[in-house]
Amino acid sequence: MITATGIVSSYGRRRILKGASFTAARGECVGIVGANGCGKSTLLSILAGTLKPKSGMVVYGGQVAWGCTRKRMKGMTDLVNKRGAADAARRGAGGMRCDREVIRRMTGYVPQENPLIPELTVYDNLRLWYPDKRSLKQELETGFLSLMGIGAFCDKRADALSGGMKKRVSIGIAMAGRPPILLLDEPGAALDLVCKEDIRSYLQTYLAHGGTVVITTHEESELSLCGRIYVMKNGVLEQADNRLRGRELARLF
Amino acid sequence: MRYLFAELKKTAQMFPRMLLMAVLLMALIGGVAFCGVKAMDKEPLAVGADIGIVVRGDNRMTRMALAYVENMESAAKLCRFVQVSEEEGMRKLEGGELAALVLLPEELVEGIMNGQNPTVDVVFPKDARIEALLFRELTESGAGLLRVAQAQIYGAADTAAQYGLEEELAAMETEIDSYNLAFAPDRLALYDEETASATGRLSTAQYYAAAGAVLFLLLAGMAAYPVMQPEPAVFRRQLAGEGVGLSWQSMCRWLCGFLYLFCLAGFAWLVLRVAALLAPDLTGRLAEILVSGRNRVPAGVRAGMILLVLAAVTAFQCMIYNLAGSRTGSILLVFLLSVGMVYLSGGFVPSALLPQTMGAVGDVLPTACMIRACGGLLAGSGAGMGRCAVGLCLYAAAFGMAACLTERFRSRRFG
Repeated sequence: MITATGIVSSYGRRRILKGASFTAARGECVGIVGANGCGKSTLLSILAGTLKPKSGMVVYGGQVAWGCTRKRMKGMTDLVNKRGAADAARRGAGGMRCDREVIRRMTGYVPQENPLIPELTVYDNLRLWYPDKRSLKQELETGFLSLMGIGAFCDKRADALSGGMKKRVSIGIAMAGRPPILLLDEPGAALDLVCKEDIRSYLQTYLAHGGTVVITTHEESELSLCGRIYVMKNGVLEQADNRLRGRELARLF
Repeated sequence: MRYLFAELKKTAQMFPRMLLMAVLLMALIGGVAFCGVKAMDKEPLAVGADIGIVVRGDNRMTRMALAYVENMESAAKLCRFVQVSEEEGMRKLEGGELAALVLLPEELVEGIMNGQNPTVDVVFPKDARIEALLFRELTESGAGLLRVAQAQIYGAADTAAQYGLEEELAAMETEIDSYNLAFAPDRLALYDEETASATGRLSTAQYYAAAGAVLFLLLAGMAAYPVMQPEPAVFRRQLAGEGVGLSWQSMCRWLCGFLYLFCLAGFAWLVLRVAALLAPDLTGRLAEILVSGRNRVPAGVRAGMILLVLAAVTAFQCMIYNLAGSRTGSILLVFLLSVGMVYLSGGFVPSALLPQTMGAVGDVLPTACMIRACGGLLAGSGAGMGRCAVGLCLYAAAFGMAACLTERFRSRRFG
């Protein structure tokens, strides 16, 4: 479902990602752990298309989202399907290009900062991201938004919500258009145990419906969802034993 | 369009709060300005202009006349006479050290007395400032008075000669002088016709009303942060990913800011209308002071100019908010730049009274164009409106483009 190959990114002269690579299958939850400032959020921003990498390739469901290519994105996608991501990246190397449509259709992104307009109600905030009123209404009545109980505080202003409620709305926003991949950047940070447990149960439901989750986290409860755990160290990802927890896991950072 | 509607909804919801903040802000600034004006009012305004005098041919009579004029109280209050050579005088005039240069011919007094009327040349600098303007008006008025007086003297002499009364003329001189003084041109009427003003063709009240309106609109941007402040970077980039481009986001914020200022102007108009109903005498007096007689600017042009001023002000604020990034930085920058630009453009002290370089800088600032446009609307004069309109369009476009480029530059790393 997700193939990220050789992602390189830097802030000024400081290189954050030095060729991060990982894969995630359909219905799988992949956890990314690492020390603060090691580049976890940078990687997720690149996957969500909000940050441009220096080089590398990201493929979602066989379609190139980010690629170093001289060709049009579709040509690159054909090359990836024919020869594999690494070979395609080598052959078609050029400037970094992004296929926004693929990213928009395939991913939902929950950043650390909630993407809410504080002066508007929850409904108005959701309306900004959902294509039409009907689909939003349907989601609020029977879909994922109703499962998260967002309908109960739909008329409240965003700045009157608690941290947990805001995070739930953020996930609801990421779910607009029912994307098959969900990218979550430390969703449980600064939330109480009940909220964390709620978010965990929503993610379980999403995974059960065949969704793919990439999550950066420091929370053990969220790591327990992950079928695969990657440790971000020195700008590269190393797969770790997904049974490792606490100090044992932290030793790998 | 969904983003635009969301921003418009936010603007509508935040408008009462922004209006209250703008009114409080203006009350505060107005109070400070009023106290400042009252404090400054105690100091009499003194215009000390240096006037160069070139005396061609050293003549005792000329020196006596010059000393007499220099010692006149009215002349001493307005200017200082500096005796210079012609070359030195011209150099100082070009350097802005002299407000005017008076070139006195040889045997000036004798020439006046014997009826030759030698010409006195008065040279003014190309970009005359207030002192030079004042001296020019005084010179022209004085020359006018002299012309009339001389005509009367020659007329009386010729009439006396025609009727064979040359001998009686000497005895009649005192009476002629009395009549001359009694019927000499009314100086007040003359000064009413020609006004030397630092505020140009506008009255002082109109000038400061125009400058105050521009300052109010610019500072009202400080209260507009709920709609003008860009959303957090992650949010903007996510929106860009959804197809809401960065430039479109800036455009939407500009439109919301424009609507806010438009409603603010509308509110001010409404307050004036209500005041006109409640206290017609007061508002009538205010209108008498601020609005000149018949307005010669068509209503459509007036509305267009107001919209252009609002558009340019909003574009400027949009650029500042995009440039500063943080809310505190934006508010501070809007305040400092607005006050600075209005000051340089002569909003506090008329440009003619500012140092030449400051005046020259202020003249090319957008605030100068805005003050001229607002002043033109109050004075009801269409002169220069076209230039103002073009200037405002250009400034609005330039600020709008700068706002979009800033937004793009700040997000250049992002996909």
